[in-house]
Amino acid sequence: MIDATVVELSRMQFALTALYHFLFVPLTLGMTVMLAAMETVYFITGKPIYKEMTQFWGKLFGINFAIGVATGLTMEFEFGTNWSMYSHFVGDVFGTPLAIEGLMAFFLESTFVGLMFFGWDRLSRPAHLAVTYLVALGSNLSALWILIANGFMQDPVGALFDPDTMRMEFTSFSDLVFSEDAQAKFVHTSIAGFVCAAMFMMGISAYYLLTRRHREFAARSFRMAALVGVIASLAVITLGDALGRADYLLQAPKIAAMEGIWDTTKPPYEPWKLIALPNDAAQRDLFSFGLPYVLTPLVTHTFDKPIPGILELESDAKPRIVRGIQAVLALHAYATTRDPVALAVFRQNESDMGYGLLAQRFAPDQDLAKITAAELPTILDLTARETIPNVFVEFWSFRIMVALGFAFLAVFAFGAYYSLRNRLERHPFLLKLTMWSIPLPILATEFGWITAENGRQPWTVFGWLPTFQSASSHALGYMLFSLIGFALLYSSFIAAELYLMFKFARLGPEGRAAHAPPQPGPTLAGAPGYADKPWQ
Amino acid sequence: MKTLIKFLGLAGVLFLALLLAVVAGDYGPWYFAWLVGTTMIILIAAAGAVLMETQTSSGRRDEEF
Repeated sequence: MIDATVVELSRMQFALTALYHFLFVPLTLGMTVMLAAMETVYFITGKPIYKEMTQFWGKLFGINFAIGVATGLTMEFEFGTNWSMYSHFVGDVFGTPLAIEGLMAFFLESTFVGLMFFGWDRLSRPAHLAVTYLVALGSNLSALWILIANGFMQDPVGALFDPDTMRMEFTSFSDLVFSEDAQAKFVHTSIAGFVCAAMFMMGISAYYLLTRRHREFAARSFRMAALVGVIASLAVITLGDALGRADYLLQAPKIAAMEGIWDTTKPPYEPWKLIALPNDAAQRDLFSFGLPYVLTPLVTHTFDKPIPGILELESDAKPRIVRGIQAVLALHAYATTRDPVALAVFRQNESDMGYGLLAQRFAPDQDLAKITAAELPTILDLTARETIPNVFVEFWSFRIMVALGFAFLAVFAFGAYYSLRNRLERHPFLLKLTMWSIPLPILATEFGWITAENGRQPWTVFGWLPTFQSASSHALGYMLFSLIGFALLYSSFIAAELYLMFKFARLGPEGRAAHAPPQPGPTLAGAPGYADKPWQ
Repeated sequence: MKTLIKFLGLAGVLFLALLLAVVAGDYGPWYFAWLVGTTMIILIAAAGAVLMETQTSSGRRDEEF
């Protein structure tokens, strides 16, 4: 028997560790690209202030990177310890991108991080620039492979279930790498990281401008971050739409929950709900207010295609659950007898096997063979409702993310405008707003992650393996102990990160080798172009 | 000889870039968009900084940011 409490605790533990880890990841992804941009300017102009900027922001990146790695390492082990059924079921497919991430991308990133920090006086200027670009590439390649693995959980392509080994096995590596979901999610997530880094740099630079310290340094950092922020915000909104489109085609329940669609829509009038209070138990909204004629083109990119509602999706799921039950029973029979007839029945219903596994939770003694004809309608109803993710959580996490995304675009646009006109210091409200906005993009990415992963429920592998069937069979005490332990440990990591970030951000760039005389060297602008104006 | 090696090296990089663009463009349009977009973001940020240097040196700023 699977203990539902242990499964819930396993979910809580993974959600906790993933959300903690994801506090660090976006900043790492974006900061490396910002460092590459700054060092590019140093390479082009030879002005030492850009070297100083790269070094100072690099130090803050280093703090974030070190603690981010510490929180990420445990997660890879968690798949084996807490999700052993999942690891067995899809390890062949899921383990491959994880291994590539560790062996290629993470090693690339980690190796060159060392060279980036300690190679300033040991490498030539072009070599150091190349190293910084490799760090940026490595960190984003890490994200790529993780999101390819996650893409498989959302849209399991490139693999088939083998009834002899009882697990999914590769059919096409390229299908996995180029899956629609993985592509859209990687680009959306990576660029969201750029937004986080841009706001982080803008906010700290705004603090310096407000306190009138390191003004030359802050003005340049602010300018570069604001420009990155404007483009990245526009891109992240556009790419979010692309990801939504992929979800519409691949994960109808996620889209229905995200938009709070209970009944199938009637295009083109159907309003896009700005705010609503979805009630999961009653399967209706307690209140809603929306913009008419927006939902259909937004989701379907047409004016006439209806979007299936939750009630219709539940109804459509019932025949699949019946076929799924037949598939699981046939699989059990084949596993014990190797009967070719059982295999033929399984093959006939194979694509719905996941729905049978989902129904197992509601079967007497979690045994599908014990379901009687009288019990079947109730089990079908319960299982069909189970196929829909939590609508309230999905609806609001999506809206908070979207609202924050548009707010960032406005902040970046005003910041870039006033920076380009050199009028930033005349707008202290904007500077204060930017400073206080530092944590908001990170918060938005957390809500984005909740939207993606809550929307995938009740599956770990969409349509194939229910979350309920994926966990290890640990004791309750073990799960509670490890959950509390992780919460305390990761909270201490956050405290350490905040302490170090505040400490070094307040200290600012002064006190480093900054004030050392510039080293002669070739520049694209002609040597020695940096010496034309001291920056501080 | 050094120039030839440099030329061949850069030609190799160009070939790889074109190959990557063709493969990514055909099979992974969003990956291709990321490569192009990220490069553009870096270049625009760099251009903004270079513009600030021009503004600074032309004296239009009057010590204000």
